[in-house]
Amino acid sequence: MSQHPLHLPADSNQLDVTDSIFIADQISWQVDELRILDSLSFEVKRNEFLGFIGPNGAGKSSLLRCLFGKNSISTGSLSFNQRAINQYSRRELAQQIAVLIQEPPTQFEMSVFDVVAMGLIPNRPLFSFSTQEDKQTITHALEKVELLNKAQNAFNTLSGGEKQRVMVARAIVQDPKVLILDEPTNHLDIQHQIDVLQLAKEMNITVLLSIHDLNMAAAFCDRLILMKEGRIITSGEPDSVLTRDNLEYVFSIRAQVDSHPFHSGKRITYDFSPDTQIKKSIISPKDISELGAEK
Amino acid sequence: MKVSFSIIALVSIGFTLLSVVVATSIGSVDVPFSQVFNSVFVCSNDIGASKSHCGVDAVYQKIVWEIRLPRILMALLTGIGLSITGAILQSVTRNPLADPYLFGISAGSALGAVVVISTISGAMISITFGALAGGALSVILMLTLAGRSAVQVERLLLSGVAVSFMLSAFTSLIVYYSDPETASTLLFWMMGSFSNSEWGDLPLPLIAIIVGLLLFVVFRRWIGAIQAGDEGAFTLGIPVSQLRLAMLVLCSIITAVLVAQVGGIGFVGLMIPHICRFIVGSQLHKVLFMCVTLGGSFMVWVDVIAHTILESQVLPVGIVTSAIGSLFFFVILKTRSRTQSF
Repeated sequence: MSQHPLHLPADSNQLDVTDSIFIADQISWQVDELRILDSLSFEVKRNEFLGFIGPNGAGKSSLLRCLFGKNSISTGSLSFNQRAINQYSRRELAQQIAVLIQEPPTQFEMSVFDVVAMGLIPNRPLFSFSTQEDKQTITHALEKVELLNKAQNAFNTLSGGEKQRVMVARAIVQDPKVLILDEPTNHLDIQHQIDVLQLAKEMNITVLLSIHDLNMAAAFCDRLILMKEGRIITSGEPDSVLTRDNLEYVFSIRAQVDSHPFHSGKRITYDFSPDTQIKKSIISPKDISELGAEK
Repeated sequence: MKVSFSIIALVSIGFTLLSVVVATSIGSVDVPFSQVFNSVFVCSNDIGASKSHCGVDAVYQKIVWEIRLPRILMALLTGIGLSITGAILQSVTRNPLADPYLFGISAGSALGAVVVISTISGAMISITFGALAGGALSVILMLTLAGRSAVQVERLLLSGVAVSFMLSAFTSLIVYYSDPETASTLLFWMMGSFSNSEWGDLPLPLIAIIVGLLLFVVFRRWIGAIQAGDEGAFTLGIPVSQLRLAMLVLCSIITAVLVAQVGGIGFVGLMIPHICRFIVGSQLHKVLFMCVTLGGSFMVWVDVIAHTILESQVLPVGIVTSAIGSLFFFVILKTRSRTQSF
């Protein structure tokens, strides 16, 4: 194991106060008249690996953006370390929260090393020269994601999986308390999906991610929050969230849920045959009340 | 690509100094290199002496110090200023085509200067003021046009282009309605020239460039992060849109000060940063350094070409840069498509 400070436990004095690093109380977020997130309440425990699952447009990315301060909530209260999130400066948040997002490719060639070096920005004064120590931190991080041999390559020439590992290295360099990943496994082959999630897990910090692959979610996450149409349907341990009924309701798909042969979690198998596909207009409690209102 | 940056830096500094000396010796009267060298580096304190002790002819001394050096240094400063603003604008907008022209900054400054020249006077201080006001106008118009979506780079660029065309139209209108004599003065001015530069014109661009460079270097990591992507930069705690706006304003000031002195000179701000990135990679402090040496010496050579290509006539500098620039891009495009290194 490397000697990087990340592998030390989180600040113990903060642990005494409370177990929750994020507390969201009835938060909503809307763009003009359109309400994207609707009265969400949840807590994020320190050092847990928390997955947000749900169909496209459920509001997972919007919610994650609220958590790192990109979206400012319209109503409700959202606190990070017992302080309202909007009371933090952008820099203060960046010192504690690292975010992995998929950036559109840039026209300018940047080396892998330079991209990882950006992780130092939040913790360095505006004007400073790079030190030998900085270089070592970056080298360690690249070593960790097994890309040291490509340090001087152009970032644009890397494969999708390698790019994502570079971004993980940048997050490691940023030395945060929380890591937020927005669909980190998209477009990656199965080996790289596991790599990225494993690397995130090994950082031993609070990890929040949105993820589409339910089997991956079951295998890696300590807890899941299931979302649909800007609301939280249910949350809890993967076993209790990934039930046949929940999946049917949220994803409109028939699935079989049983024990995974290789680990203690659940395995989800989807039924693709056309005659068993569930109609999109599946009757839900919400639909029934709306029907009633129309009459 | 294995050559270390310090070697490239030393070579490029040497090339810049050499360019200045060679350019000083070339002209309607050829001053021998030794005389230029002695005049510039040995007896620079003897200006005005009839026959200096270090053996420089008084006529040469006068040509070098009163005619050529101010002109060449202005060319140097213009090359530096336009190149570094181009590099910064390209980075903060992530657009390889960005330069002071695309954003309408040059058009605004030109309009301001043309208004002043045609209505008030040709005094440099008022032209500078006009150019600054015009540059400010273009930035304000661009931001107003982009409105709330000014945080989006694409909208910012599009409104910049719109403003650029609008202000250019006004400039053309003024030229069109001027009397023939003023019109020809304006036209020649708009195409760019260093010929009228004097020592007194140099301090303002010099100060603008030094202040700009210092700020660019201080903010280089933040600008680099924006170059990689807005949202990523946000997550690193960088005030993205404020920084972009500040850089835009800074670039406008440098451009306006230069346009006021030398008129409209295109393509340099677009072309030089790309050559620099090609040589030293995309780290901003290296790119800026190369912009200073390469951009500066490029402009010095452009000025030499403008003075020597036609017998007894000085071509507008803008024509030379545009001609070289388009040729250059054609070559780059050809080699790029072959090596696919973009």
